[in-house]
Amino acid sequence: MKFGLFYEHQLPRPYDEETWGPEDEHQILKHALEQVELADRLGYDYVFEVEHHFLEEYSHSSAPEIFLAAASQRTKNIRLGHGIALMPPRYNHPARVAERISTLDLVSDGRVEFGTGESASEMELGGFGVAREEKKLMWEEATRECVKMMTQSPYPGYEGAYFGMPSRNVIPKPLQKPHPPLWVASSRRETTMVAARLGMGSLGFAFETPEEAQERVEQYFELVREECTPIGAAINPALAVLSSLSCFETDEEAVEKGREGTQFFSYSLGYYYSPLGAAHQPSKTHLYRNFRDTPEEKRMGVLGGRGFGGFGGGNEEVEPDDEVKRALWRAAKRGGCIGSPDFVRDTLRRYDDAHLDVMIFVAQSGARKHEDVMDSIYRFGTKVLPEFKERHEMHEKWRAEQLDGVEFAINSSI
Amino acid sequence: MKVDRIQDEGLRASLQAAHASLRAGDHRDVVQRAGEAYIELLRRKPELLQGEGAMPQMRIFMFPRLCAHLEVEDGRPVAVAFDRENIGFPEAVTYYEFAVDNLVREGL
Repeated sequence: MKFGLFYEHQLPRPYDEETWGPEDEHQILKHALEQVELADRLGYDYVFEVEHHFLEEYSHSSAPEIFLAAASQRTKNIRLGHGIALMPPRYNHPARVAERISTLDLVSDGRVEFGTGESASEMELGGFGVAREEKKLMWEEATRECVKMMTQSPYPGYEGAYFGMPSRNVIPKPLQKPHPPLWVASSRRETTMVAARLGMGSLGFAFETPEEAQERVEQYFELVREECTPIGAAINPALAVLSSLSCFETDEEAVEKGREGTQFFSYSLGYYYSPLGAAHQPSKTHLYRNFRDTPEEKRMGVLGGRGFGGFGGGNEEVEPDDEVKRALWRAAKRGGCIGSPDFVRDTLRRYDDAHLDVMIFVAQSGARKHEDVMDSIYRFGTKVLPEFKERHEMHEKWRAEQLDGVEFAINSSI
Repeated sequence: MKVDRIQDEGLRASLQAAHASLRAGDHRDVVQRAGEAYIELLRRKPELLQGEGAMPQMRIFMFPRLCAHLEVEDGRPVAVAFDRENIGFPEAVTYYEFAVDNLVREGL
């Protein structure tokens, strides 16, 4: 199993102020670059960066290609992932995505992971005039054509349902051939199965249990072998999932330092992806204050009134039935990788046994201190990561067995 | 394939037909069959629609709403309602996988 970091660039407003200080956005980005630099030195494999727009406090990461380009010049080995690039053409014209992905691949010496997706928040869809009911169609069309732009000289042109352009040679071309590994955001199990059928990696933003991950892994590789019609010129058979990371010397310290950030991550995600988010008042709504002023056991109210389980003394221990709500609910619970190195190691072994390819950590979330995030990244990187590096050879053999007989070209960094 | 784990012969055959339609590119048929199978699940397991507050509607709400949804009107059986006719491959897969997963999970 490989490991990565995941960045939303969360920036809660200061509790006692109406807005951020003049240096706050500057600082969160510079801190994140320091964290990525440390992760690279320690041998982490990936950094994935979201693209979100207008989601104040939840995500100040609207130009991931800029951040990843900066990271590329400070690092040597860590792979630079879009997690994900928004593909509906009203967000990004497919030719502009192809140009940016290729350029990043060139300046990073071929380290790009091309994650794709659509987003679902009303703030973003409405902000760019993207029709919610057709965004999945837009994603498929734009992604398919974008990949052709990276591989065809010239691109022959296209007239589709959601964008069109005449024949042009879209340049530059990426360093990785035929193109960087392709991924799609898979917050639901069904999308993981779409990914398999299209030959894409599944970026599972769903906080799955090891048991669920194992079932998905088995079904995913079965579909890759038997039902795959690649969307690109090479397939990327790979499954990644998210987990919170707060790794300190004791479980108690890890919970103490990691709890609120994890809760805020879930609270703010639930806020923007629920009807509440559509009523968000730009520059006025103080999400962090609302979060802090809400009793701990009620902070998940935006997710349907479920309690926090292990974190807040919530009465509701039954997980939500809805998959998305369940993912958020789990994110807010203790579990995942919040604990001592021993706790985190034991948790990860279960995912490793399930043959998961990549675990991506949310280390920066909420108002977690930069020093604590660095400390956590360092502790995991020195006390847990090496063991999994040694075990990865076994995983590679298992993957080779799974992919035996697959005749498509493969470009995967696993 | 997971669809082969559906125990009920009729439902299994219908979703195997949906699978064939998926491979043949008949995406509307996939969505129709997936919707009907899910409605049949709710008919056979009415306890899934019981509970307090908004919970009874949750199972209806969970059904994907990409290009079709479940229509619930007083006094009429739940039905699949299409919002448009052009249905993409990823959308059809979403409905198909949703139905198969729920039927297997509920032991039908």
